[in-house]
Amino acid sequence: MSAASVPERGDHPTLPPAFAKALLALILFVAVPATLSGIGGGYLYQIATTALIFVILAASLNLVTGTAGLLSLGHAGFYGIGAYVAALLSTRLGASFLVTLPAAGAVAGAIGTLVALPTMRLVSIYFAVATLGIGEMIYVTLLNWTDFTRGPMGIRSIPDIEMLGWEPHSPMQQYLVVASVAAVSLWVLSRLTHSYFGNALRAVREDDQCASAMGLNVVHLKIVAFGASCCFAGIAGALLAHTANFISPDQFQFGESINILAMVVVGGLGSLPGAVIGALLLVILPEALRSVGDFRMIAIGSIMFFSILLLPKGLLGEASALSLLRRQFGEAWSGRPGPPVGWR
Amino acid sequence: MSDAPMLEIRNVTRRFQGLTAVDGVTGHVAAHELVGLIGPNGAGKTTLFNLISGFIAPSEGEIRFEGRSLAGMRPHRIARLGIGRTFQNLRILPNMTVFDNVSIGALATFGHSAWQALMPGRRSRSGRISELTGDVLDQVRLSAQAGELAANLSYGRRKYLEIARALATRPKLLILDEPAAGLNESETAELGEFIRGLVRRGLTVLLVEHDMSLVMSICDRVIVLASGAKIADADPASVQRDPAVLDSYLGTRD
Repeated sequence: MSAASVPERGDHPTLPPAFAKALLALILFVAVPATLSGIGGGYLYQIATTALIFVILAASLNLVTGTAGLLSLGHAGFYGIGAYVAALLSTRLGASFLVTLPAAGAVAGAIGTLVALPTMRLVSIYFAVATLGIGEMIYVTLLNWTDFTRGPMGIRSIPDIEMLGWEPHSPMQQYLVVASVAAVSLWVLSRLTHSYFGNALRAVREDDQCASAMGLNVVHLKIVAFGASCCFAGIAGALLAHTANFISPDQFQFGESINILAMVVVGGLGSLPGAVIGALLLVILPEALRSVGDFRMIAIGSIMFFSILLLPKGLLGEASALSLLRRQFGEAWSGRPGPPVGWR
Repeated sequence: MSDAPMLEIRNVTRRFQGLTAVDGVTGHVAAHELVGLIGPNGAGKTTLFNLISGFIAPSEGEIRFEGRSLAGMRPHRIARLGIGRTFQNLRILPNMTVFDNVSIGALATFGHSAWQALMPGRRSRSGRISELTGDVLDQVRLSAQAGELAANLSYGRRKYLEIARALATRPKLLILDEPAAGLNESETAELGEFIRGLVRRGLTVLLVEHDMSLVMSICDRVIVLASGAKIADADPASVQRDPAVLDSYLGTRD
């Protein structure tokens, strides 16, 4: 190994990056739309759009929970903030998609950063509980601030995606817009993950005391990662608002946070391709299994159960979900004195 | 500046709920010196280490580095001032490669922000990080294993990996917490030679050690702690003859 070249991370065989990127773009922008149009489906496009929204959600949560090792249980809350920002801006002020999309990301990212400031000094399970609380607070606010959010009735007739007068009318055009946003989001997230910033986050995940002894500002790194992650959750929310045209608070409940977390865990903590595959799996599978009725929930539960049991690192992960959890509980789990629990 | 010692410990005390782990210790480490810190188990060596690197704060007293007080500084600030440390129980990052482990140490110097990850110019920065990392890996003779997961290294090599990571922070003062623990005699001798070499090349080292022979053979000066207090501070030969030291430490061997 020559000193000048950075070794490939992980032990998975990888395609040459340029080729892999071109292939992914080809699949995303040509193969999938061609197939979906071929088997003729507006409905199929809806599923594909939903899948891409969850790909962004899972990939962004992976940055915080997978790469930085912070168990976040409130991701759906920031998804909701983005959705409501986009919905309110477009229904009340008539703002276009080109405004609502970045605004949703910015507001969710800013709120995420503000929320992170006090919670980032919490270690282990206390951080997870704090994010759970934050997620619920966001949900309850969306539900009860009726004057502003219309409460449980949700917001209807959110305008479609519209860019400088152009409106994608067909499901395929809408899909292509969502796919472009997803591609850019994934590109940014992959840059963040596969960089020295990502390595610093990994060091924080593996051993934050050691990372700080190496001169890394652990609290700052966590705040940036959390803020960036929330920003992309907000962008996913904006995509949902403009493609579903209807949002309501119950779409952003705790269960949805767990759903996103499950995608990351099934795909493998810390792996961006894993998060993408996990999201695709957990969005498309329930649709594919629709014919077996309520049994599909059992099937999905089993997939999650067995993937944790048999593939402790998920499909492609760098760190095992159980060991993350074990670390979250610290000494309570292992019975031996571990790092101090509480504030640091 | 030239007269002030690199590291100055002034009357430092640290209490943990009634237990006084470090009790009014005063001492210093001069530039380019190799100082050993020894003492029986529970003498407060590791506590003193954690005080220097900022993981815990002194209850009383002050620690100064290059004339600057470290009071209230968080560990990463202290590390960036130029104090690199290793840990007693190895703290390598097992899921990361040897190269990535060491490059963690280089990040603070060369930048690792999210912004830099997205902006152009990362090639040249990553070039500089790789260069420093490769350099340090050469020093500890781990270049051949750069791409391997750290978990696959032997125990002895992990010790060097941990030292390499601290070296990659480009410290002025390197503090090593029991680097020879768990090594056999020849490995210990090799490690001693390596540390001596670092000092020859201009580094300053404070070494906490259990292994008396290592400390006595390589250190310029030895500080002895017992029950949190300093009981001796002299060259190795005098320390070995010091009755107080023989009493509290060496005497226990008989």
